[in-house]
Order: sequence, then C-alpha cells, then structure tokens
Amino acid sequence: MANALRQSTLSTLGLGTVLDIFKNGALPATAAGLVDKVFGPAGDRGALVISGGNGIVGAGKLMQFGTRLLPYDIPIVSLDMPGAPDGIGMQYAGLRDSFGPDRANAVMKNIFQLTYDGKTLPAQLKGMNPRFLLEAIPEILELKKAHYGMFRADFPEIEIRSVTSGFPMKQLGVGVAHPAFPHQINKVWEIIEEEPSDVTKLMWALGMIPMPVSDDWSFVLDVLFCGITLAACRYHLATNMPYWKVDKYVRRLLGPNPVRAHDAIGTQGSSFLTWSCLHHLAKEYGDLFTPSSDMEERKETGLAWYPLNHFRPLVNWSFTEAEEDEFNVRLLGPMFQMTALMLHEKRAELPVMNAIGELCAQFRQGIIAAIRAYGPEKAVDYVNRYHELHPEAKDHWHPEAFAAMDTPEWQQLYVNAEHDGTVGVITISRESYSDDVDVELGRAIDWLKGQSIDRVIVTGDFHMSTQMVGADTTNFAAGLSDAAEGARIAGGWSTTARRLNDEFSVSVGFVNGKRCMGGMLELLMHCHYLVADKGAAFGMPEVTLPVVPGMEGCHWPFRRVGSDSWDNLFGLLLNGGNVKAGDAVGWLIDAAAPMEEALQVAWNIASGGDHGVQKRPLETGAVAGLPAAVEPSWLSTASAATDGGRKAIFGCIQQACAVPLADALDLQAKISGDYMAGKECNRGKIGSMIKKTMNV
Amino acid sequence: MKEVQTAYSGARIPYGTWGTSYFPAWQMSALAEVNIGQFAGEAMNRIMGMKKVPVTVLEYLVLGSTIPWHYKFWTAPTVASCMGHRIPGYHTEQACATGLQAMVLGINEVNTGSNDVVGVLTFDRTSDSPVGVFPERRSYERTQAIADVWDNFGFDPATGGAMIQCAGKAARKYKLDRAEVDELAYHRYEQYFAARDSGWLAERVCVPLEVLNMQGRSLGMVDNDAGIRKVTLASLREMFELDTCVTGGGQTHASDGMACLLVTTPEKVKDLSPRPEIDIQLVAKCELRTQPSLMPEAPAMATGKLLERTGLSLDDLAVVKTHNPFAVNDAIFAKVLGYDWKKMNNNGSSLVWGHPQGPTLTRLAIEAFEEAVDLGGGFVLLNGCAAGDVGIAAIFKVTEGGN
Repeated sequence: MANALRQSTLSTLGLGTVLDIFKNGALPATAAGLVDKVFGPAGDRGALVISGGNGIVGAGKLMQFGTRLLPYDIPIVSLDMPGAPDGIGMQYAGLRDSFGPDRANAVMKNIFQLTYDGKTLPAQLKGMNPRFLLEAIPEILELKKAHYGMFRADFPEIEIRSVTSGFPMKQLGVGVAHPAFPHQINKVWEIIEEEPSDVTKLMWALGMIPMPVSDDWSFVLDVLFCGITLAACRYHLATNMPYWKVDKYVRRLLGPNPVRAHDAIGTQGSSFLTWSCLHHLAKEYGDLFTPSSDMEERKETGLAWYPLNHFRPLVNWSFTEAEEDEFNVRLLGPMFQMTALMLHEKRAELPVMNAIGELCAQFRQGIIAAIRAYGPEKAVDYVNRYHELHPEAKDHWHPEAFAAMDTPEWQQLYVNAEHDGTVGVITISRESYSDDVDVELGRAIDWLKGQSIDRVIVTGDFHMSTQMVGADTTNFAAGLSDAAEGARIAGGWSTTARRLNDEFSVSVGFVNGKRCMGGMLELLMHCHYLVADKGAAFGMPEVTLPVVPGMEGCHWPFRRVGSDSWDNLFGLLLNGGNVKAGDAVGWLIDAAAPMEEALQVAWNIASGGDHGVQKRPLETGAVAGLPAAVEPSWLSTASAATDGGRKAIFGCIQQACAVPLADALDLQAKISGDYMAGKECNRGKIGSMIKKTMNV
Repeated sequence: MKEVQTAYSGARIPYGTWGTSYFPAWQMSALAEVNIGQFAGEAMNRIMGMKKVPVTVLEYLVLGSTIPWHYKFWTAPTVASCMGHRIPGYHTEQACATGLQAMVLGINEVNTGSNDVVGVLTFDRTSDSPVGVFPERRSYERTQAIADVWDNFGFDPATGGAMIQCAGKAARKYKLDRAEVDELAYHRYEQYFAARDSGWLAERVCVPLEVLNMQGRSLGMVDNDAGIRKVTLASLREMFELDTCVTGGGQTHASDGMACLLVTTPEKVKDLSPRPEIDIQLVAKCELRTQPSLMPEAPAMATGKLLERTGLSLDDLAVVKTHNPFAVNDAIFAKVLGYDWKKMNNNGSSLVWGHPQGPTLTRLAIEAFEEAVDLGGGFVLLNGCAAGDVGIAAIFKVTEGGN
C-alpha cells in the first residue's frame, strides 16, 4: 500500500493494479485465455449450463453470457423443469434490437434447452461436457444442495456458482455469483469465493463487473435495496403517506424508487424476494430488517404497490419542515445503520459497496458517499434518532464503523492513485464526473504531488467504470435556478482539470472504455496527451441537452490545434455526435491503437520512453481567426442538437477563445452558469430530468 | 352538566381525529372532475396522516354518500383500498341525514363490540352527478333517465312536489315573516364569515387538499368553500321570492366534499386523540317523519322528541347545530321550540357553506364538537331534515377531563 492512496479494487479480483497494467503494457488477463481455462481448449470446449434457465435471472444471464461467449464456440445449455414458462423466447426481441438479427439468431442457435425431472440429469448433457454450472433454481437450500450433488456425481470437475438471493457460501457449499437486475444488461455480480477464481476473472475479461463480497447473509445490493424498501414501507405505515409519494421523496433524498421498482420487476416475485431477503436478515440481525406487514401481504397476494391506472393518485401530499425531518430520520437512520453493519462485517471494499448502490439500485450518490457527506456525527445522530422512533431496531448498531471516515478508504471512493516512484496513475471508478469525483481527484493530485510525482496517467479503474459518460447532471440541480451555483460548479471542476495541465510535467489521459463524453472528455483533454483504445468513441453531447460545456470544452481544444482542425471541433460541439478514436487523432486526441499498444504508448509517454507522439502546444493568448458565424457545413441534419444550444455554445466559443487562457476559465464558467439557469436548459433534458426527480 | 342515561357508553369519538374537506360549490373546483369515492378514501388517509393516526389502526369503515359514484358497487372495501388500508365496511345513505346516520352506525359498530376502531367517511359530488337509466316497461314512460341530484331535488315521488315547495309550505304553515327569515339568513352568513376570517375554520375543521390530474400534476387546490358570496341584509331582502320566504340567499347550494371522523372504545381514545382528556359520546338520537312536504319542521319535532326522551331541556344544550337547507328551517325550529335562533349554528351551517349531501351533517358535527370544546364542554344537539318529511336529531355529550 506504500505506493497507493488506497487498495485498488482491481487487485481484489487477483488482477493486480492499474499501474501494473500500464507497466506491463497488457491487461492482466484475456477472455480467450480464461475461456481455455474454464471451458477447455478450442476444439474441446465444455458447456456452460444455466439451471433455472427460463427464470428471470436464468434467462437474462443466458443472454449476457450467450452474447459474450459467442466467439468462443461454447455450447450454452438452459436446464429447467418441464412446463416451466418460456423465459428465453421473450428475450429474443431485446437481443435483436441490441445486436441485430444475425447475431441474435446466432446466440439463440447456440442455446440448448433441456428439461429434467429434478432428480436426474438429462442424458444429452454428458455429451456436452459441462464445465461451468450457474445455478438459478428456487431459493430452497436442500433443493440447491441436491442439485449440486447431482451435477458433481456426473461431472466431478465442474465449477459451480449459485446466483442465490441470500444463502451464504458456507451453507450452499459452492461459490456465489449474485447478479444485479436487470439481468440481461446489468454487468455487476457480487462474488463470494475463497480466492479470485478463473470464472470470476473470465467475467471481468468478458466486460462484466464482478465484485468480491464477504460470505454473510444476503448481499450488499440486497441489503441496500431491500433495506430502503423496508424503510419506505415503514414510513408509509407510520404516516399513511401513499407509496407513490414516499417513492418520490426517497428518489429526491437518495435516488431510488424502491416501491415502484417492485411493480416494474413484477410485484409478486420481487416482493417475495425482498421479503425473503429481509426475513432471513431479520433472523440474523433482528428487527432492523423485520419485513413490514404490507410486505407480507404483497408477497402473498401480488397486489400492486402502486394504484392501478383507474385509481391514479388523486390527493397530493407534501411535507412540513418537521415532517421532512422525520422522513429523513426514518429513511437515513435505518440505511445508515444497515451500512454500518455491513462495514462492521467488512462485506466489501468501501468503493465497491458504494458503487453497488449506484450501479444497481439507482442511488444518486453511493451510500458510503452519502454517509460521508453527512459526516460521522450527523450519521450517528440519524441512527440514534431513528431508534427513538423505532426502538426495536437498536440491536446490531455499530457506530464505530463510521469512526475512520477521514481515512483514504472513506475519502477516495471514486478516485485512487498509485505510483512507482516516478509515474503516477490516477484512476476514476465512476462513469460520470461529480462534485465527489472532483474533490477526490483534487486530493489524489495532492497526494501524488506530496509523493513528488510529476508524471501522471489519468484513466478509468479497469473494473467498476467501463466508460466515461460525462458530467453527473444531477449535480446541476441548484444551478438551474442559481447562475452563480452553475458557475461555481463549472469553475471548480475546471480548476481541478487545469491542475492536470499545470502541475505535472507530463500528464496522459487514457480512455480504456467504450466512450469518453462531455465533462469526462473535457477533463482528460486538459492532459498533455490523450491516448485511447481504438474502439473508444468521443463526443460532446451538451448541445443536445442543451447546456454549455463548463469545463473549458469551448476553448481548450481550440487552443491545442491549428485552424485547419477547427471545423472538426465545431462539428463535434455543435452537433453533439460521436467520433471514433481513430478519426479523432490529431485534433482531439493524440493517439489511438488496440488496447495493448495504446497502453504501451501511454506508459512510454508518461515514463519518458520512446513513443513518437507529438505534443500539441497550448495557445495561452487569445485564439485568433475564429469564424464569426456558424458555417452550414459544420451542421449535421441528423443531429439532435437544439438551436438554442448551438447558438449559446458558438457564442461561448467566440468569447472564451477571444481572451487569454488565464481569463477563459472564469468566462466560460460564467457563460455556462448563466445558460444553466436560463429557460432553455431548464426546459431541456437536464431541467426536465431534475424537475422530475427533485420537484415532488 | 346534567346526568343522562346513554345506550352508547361503549363508544367514543376521539377528539381531533377528524377533518373535512372544504365544500366548494357545484362545478366550482377540481372536485367536479374526480371519482369522489377515490377522493374521499385518499383524503381521509391524508387527514388521518395529518392527525398522526396511522390508518392501519382502523378495523372497519362506514361510508355515507347519496349520489352514485364510479365503482360504488364495491362500496367501503374499495374506498378503504384508496385510503391505503384494506378493511371491510359498508355503505349507508339516508338522503340529507346520511352524515349523522353514518356516525350513529359507526358508533354502533364500536358500542356493540364488533370493532374497536371504526372510520366514518361521508362524501358526495353533486357536480356532474350521474344519470340513471331506469327501464320500467309497465310505466307510462317505459324508461326514464334521471339526473341524480337535480331530478331528485325537483321531485319527491311520494308527494310529487319539489324540495323547495316543502320550505314554502312550511313557511306558510308557521306564518313566517320574510323579513325575519332574511335577517336569520344574514346572521348565518355573518356566523360563517366570522369563523372563516378568524382562521377558526382552517385551524379546527377544514383541511386544504390538492387534487392531481392523471399525469400527477396539480388540478387545483380545494382550500376554500368556493362559491360563497358575502351578502348584505339589503341584498337578501331584494332577492326574488321563489316560494314563501324562500329566496336564493335563504337556501343552500349544491356542493362537493367529504368529511370523516373516527369512533373507538373509551380505552383506545388515549392512543388516538391528541387530547384524550376530552370525552365525546353519543347520548341518544331519534328520527321521525312529519306530515308530507313539511320537511323544515321535522328537525324541530325530532329535537322535541329527543329532549323528552333524554330528560334534557334546550337550556341544557351548549351547542345547537342544524342542517338548514332553508333559512325557514331555523325560523321554524326557533318558533316551535321557543329557542333564540341567534344562539344556533355558530361558526357556520349548511345554509351558507353548501350541501354536498352525504358529508353535510358530519361537517356540522365536527364544527359542533370543536365549538363545544371551546366552550369547555356541554351537550351538543345536531339535527337536520331529509327526504321531504324526515327529521333526525342526536345529542352528544362533550366533557373535558371529566368536567
């Protein structure tokens, strides 16, 4: 840990550090190599079996593995009971929409649907040499154990993972790979196993996000999701506030719509799973988790939580200040206590626990970050006040879990830094840039500077963040009505970004994921070099929202290139479309190559090796000669850009480029802030989204 | 306070666990556009939330309404579902006496030991009332379509007369003086506006409610008894006489709304009421039917009978509230019983704030209980007329801390 701000989450998968990746010039594992290890060599591949393949989880995971394993010629077997409703056929439409008919057909063609009687396996399986069983059968422990026994009797070497919604590994006797909803597309898995296995590494190599967690009852996601549902239900029962309104306030407070989610997933099934999770947790931890009476009713009856269409809500509810305070206590109190319990049990690395809420349960800010924002005293106070309202929940309260809030584990949830004494690597594990990321990035830079590191690579974390989508626009809520707040965000974030240019002798932005957009692109363009995997795409979608880019996107790139490239920049900024890495070299980024080559180029630049990439100078004076009017040739008819956005962004380019670099930051921040508080932004996508979320 | 016998000693109305919507006049608010059964259920849930009463404590629901509403067949269970708590119950109606009768039935549910906590929820929407189609092949018309509110008010099938004719006929019988009736009506307006303008109504009785449209956006606030104009005595006197002593200003108007309260056991009051030291119980009630089309005298006659049965006199009453669709009603009440009409209906009455039918007497009860509490307790008389010739009256005993 001497050379890292905190432990890399990648290392918890047995895959080393991000610094290692750059130093080695290669990813720590490849899908092809791991497929060989898990399923056997080409020409002798065994099968993947998903039992309970017609269920919501099983069918979803058949699609997820089926698409990813297609190039490797691995038979995919769905095993289920006769008469199980077809859950696979209904996946086809989504598959076709995502991948086109040819690939969808190929995936479906490779799925073998077998049935069995629950006691003996079908004879055909033997010919398929199953190597990996993903079990997704009903949550009955003895049934599961018998199922494993059946497979082990016939296939002693088979790897087995259970998707169980709650049983720990110590009861199941097999490892656990617990996926997150929606199962076709959510890449997050909570993994329980003794040591990182090849199966887990394969998941990572296939682009999924395995997250190691401890072997305790239930999972981080389930505690968070079921916990917040329980808190919402308990609030409803205490105050009469209808579920739909409780949901709105929960969404405003933390992000999720827990009650609505149950109806969206399927009321009876999801209510049963939530009840079951809480029921088992309550057995372990008492009333903190005891399912509420309305949950009991829903899991038995399947009655929808929300009113039916003909009884859409008619009477509105609102809070007094005191009522809102009680709501916060009744929601945050149990959530903070549950999180303290998970911290006490060391269920996962803090960034992992934090990310699970964001990636899988719609938390606007992960639960750890939320607690951090309140601070230890206030967080403890919320729980204590909750106990005054609900004394039965006092057991299993671990306030000491919040004591270490000033350590890097708490403080660097989204941004980590590592170095080898010469080169530092800053990793961002969040897909969107936020105030939290900004503050953490500042601290990471401070730490590296304190370690006398002045050469740095800034990149994703190769684990939890698989793309860089831009600014977290929920952070703009206050800016919609307060231009100064918008300017503060833009100015503050830009100031941090400039440190990458100003405070390092060499800084390299590296894009390892699918895309780098908006605010994230603005951040990385502040690096002296920007290198990308050739498959990455870049874009500035602000004009479609519309909002004026706040992190200097309207002048910084113009200062880095000659006038012959300005047309490209105008097109990028005024259309909001994407450009592939290979097409962006020279005017937006500096190098694009296949992953390993790109890693090596980035490392060579950062470490002072031979790289052959020309550094583009930065114009610090005014940029002369910009066109005075929009050229029709820049504009794409296929663009989703708004006219107002185009006008504002073009105006911002004109103004911010017309002043020296030293003055441009404040100017662009002010323009961005003013526009954010204006009608167009308020009426656009950001304004609508925030109003929908925050105006309840 | 005089000792009286009551057959309802096992039931109490816990103070403060009640509320009513405002009663906007016919077609004057968002209530004209809603399923009133759904509204009533959701509004009761909201009111109970504001009163810190979880609806999960309710075991039973007695509904009172008179105008058919969508899904009425499903009655109390459906309204309870809209309230957010699935409990059984039933629906009752007795024309304009519904609000009081529903309370008595709710009290009976507790008093007889059937349930410990009962909700009484009364409501009606006169706006856009449904039109019933009644195929009767043996009748001359064979099939009749009847608009529930206006056609019923205009035609008493037992007599063939209209409601308003009852008022004129009764005024003639008692030889009422138009000038006095106008003066009485004016006084009722003053009583209402005094309660409204002082904030008493908003603080103690009526709950503002926001109505949403199908998209969840505001359809409007129901936060006043819309449609009530301040009148002058001179303007009342100048009004055209529709029938003897009956003018537009001397009769009520159709409105929309809901009102609710709880009934519980004496032991459970402390769990529900913000002021459990206040004790409210029903002493007795009675109904009678007077001669055809003399409805305005029926409340006075029912009251007389009730006083006789209870052994109480008018002097024993701290609060007198009447459902007075016509000012004539109160003038006759005063004349028959020898009571000063200025002492009645403090803080308002249905003559002024309107008549949504089902909840009218429930709101009057809530106003009466609050007034009695202001006075430090006492006997409360509630009465009203219904259906052309029916009178209903009930006496409640309100004490504070045993006093």
